Amino acid sequence: MPLTTRRRLLAATALVAFSSQAVARSVTGRLPWSPNEAYPPDVVRPGGWLFLRPEEAATLDAIVSRLIPADDLSPSGKDLGCTVFIDRQLAGPWGTYEWLYMQPPFAEKPLPTQGIQSPLVPQQQYRKGLAALTAHCRDAFGGKTFEQLSAEEQDTLLQGMEKGEVHLPGLTAPQLTTTMFFAQVLDNTIEGFFADPIYGGNKDMAGWKMIGFPGTRYDFRDVIANPGKPYTKPPVSIMGRPEWNGKPA
Amino acid sequence: MMRSTILAATLLAATAMATAAKADPDNFTEVQRGRYLATAGDCMGCHIGPDGKSLAGGNLLETPFGKISVPNITPDNETGIGHWSAQDFYEAMHEGKRPGGTHLYPAFPYTAFTKMPRADTDAIYAYLRAQEGVTNRVDRDTLPFPFNIRLLMAGWNWLNFTPGAFRPDPQKSAAYNRGAYLVEGPAHCGLCHTPRNFMGGDKDGEHLQGGALQGWFAPSITANKRLGIGAWSEAEIVDYLRSGHTERGAASGPMGEVVAYSTSRMTGEDLRAIATYLRERGAAGAAAPQPVAAGDARMQAGAAIYEDSCAACHTRDGSGVAGMFPRLADNQLVQQPDPAGILHVVLQGSQSVPTPQAVTAPAMPSLRWRLTDQQVADVATFIRNSWGNAAAAVTTDQVKAMREATAGIAMPQRH
Repeated sequence: MPLTTRRRLLAATALVAFSSQAVARSVTGRLPWSPNEAYPPDVVRPGGWLFLRPEEAATLDAIVSRLIPADDLSPSGKDLGCTVFIDRQLAGPWGTYEWLYMQPPFAEKPLPTQGIQSPLVPQQQYRKGLAALTAHCRDAFGGKTFEQLSAEEQDTLLQGMEKGEVHLPGLTAPQLTTTMFFAQVLDNTIEGFFADPIYGGNKDMAGWKMIGFPGTRYDFRDVIANPGKPYTKPPVSIMGRPEWNGKPA
Repeated sequence: MMRSTILAATLLAATAMATAAKADPDNFTEVQRGRYLATAGDCMGCHIGPDGKSLAGGNLLETPFGKISVPNITPDNETGIGHWSAQDFYEAMHEGKRPGGTHLYPAFPYTAFTKMPRADTDAIYAYLRAQEGVTNRVDRDTLPFPFNIRLLMAGWNWLNFTPGAFRPDPQKSAAYNRGAYLVEGPAHCGLCHTPRNFMGGDKDGEHLQGGALQGWFAPSITANKRLGIGAWSEAEIVDYLRSGHTERGAASGPMGEVVAYSTSRMTGEDLRAIATYLRERGAAGAAAPQPVAAGDARMQAGAAIYEDSCAACHTRDGSGVAGMFPRLADNQLVQQPDPAGILHVVLQGSQSVPTPQAVTAPAMPSLRWRLTDQQVADVATFIRNSWGNAAAAVTTDQVKAMREATAGIAMPQRH
């Protein structure tokens, strides 16, 4: 068996080496450059849901607004566009793990270093997880949906999911446990809070303003020699900032 | 009787031998002199053939009157100038006429080449004859009516053309006169750097004050400090022509081609002579306009765009990075009355010319995708009116026209 594996590995390595040579090219004379060459990002346009169903979006709006509540530091996760961010990510290549190796075996008790070990792709995780949460709320709160609960009830429920004390119906290892689902939603909410506004979240760069992140600037030579003084320049998105692009980024 | 016949025959034979020696491609010195003059004249800039190395022509030059096709000037008998004599070549260079007397169009700069003495056109002729003939038939009648009537050029010449060889100014140094000859004769700088009148002739009295061409603007090269080369040292001019780069900035666009094919291959002595002439021949150009006020809404929007989209390379104070990113403060190119240059570069991006002395050829990316017409106009207005610069504000119509003119090459697909 180890021999087979090694032979397979060698064959695979040779294949990669061979095929990557096809795209290699040598550069002589002048560096490659073409007029008008650019790789502009796909900018998320708000409005409508691309993957989420309306009831799923309503539940997710409520979740992200408890994970990031509106307070002195920032608006709520919903108002910052975290749900839009997650919806667009689910509708894109990440939603189906287009770039991940997704063949079994999947570890039943994975080490942290083994990362994601679910055969479900994010689209399936969200669909299944949100349905399970809705079912749980219906049973435990007399027919209510998650978004109809009070903020305290929502917090308690989310904390229980995080700690593994609440088990949503139908969520089991190795496919998707309640804690795996919660961790996924929390990670994606944080990403939506801090990712560039072109991806749908971080509205008005509020996440960046909260922590003083400068955005896509990368030349600080004229301000770097001011130790101890606050950095006061406004953050800037890949598509600019309201001072000149006329619309909230 | 007998003796005179022999004498005559001997003379005839001697003449024939002399002619043969002159046409002999092994006439190395003459051919080399011709090669150098052809380089100074940048024949390759227009006449480059489809093979990328011969003078077989075929390019279409964009002019306000239509497209002019560039002829094959290799010594191919059928499609080139193989049947031309040295006299034919001289008449083309000196008078703008083809064998048989039909007129050439002044996109071929006989208006400048007329300054060249017969000895120099003969040298170029010898060089051209020594090249391999390349068969490349070029359709020479691409201009639309009425400009396809070559006889019209007789009237044009009467109004716009004074034939005559260069006359040195005895009051001036040898370097000045050599530079004057090169600039006004073979190097034909004025073809681009002098503005055109409505007929496409030189605008009298605005010699070398800058002209529009092919979506670019060839800047003033008078000794005007704000718009021309008046603030440039001799060494800077020589470096620019030799390597395409100075601490101020770099040659790109059509001037990049001139540097690549012509000036980078000229002698240091000739480049210094050109610098001497340009610096001494005097300043000309409009006085600086009042700069657009910093409080103007366009300037404030432009300042924000500049900080976010330009300052990382060109720096916030417009000083750039010597040898890498052009300095925009006190930059003549960005302050020309016609903003074509700055708009071209912002929309399409640009790569400086690589030369043996400056191989890196830094490039600027296209900002077409990121900035609207209004935003390009605002940032160009800001650059043209900051750090001591002063020039007319840019309008969105100017940007729109340039966006269309430079759109030709499609953006590559995303990976």
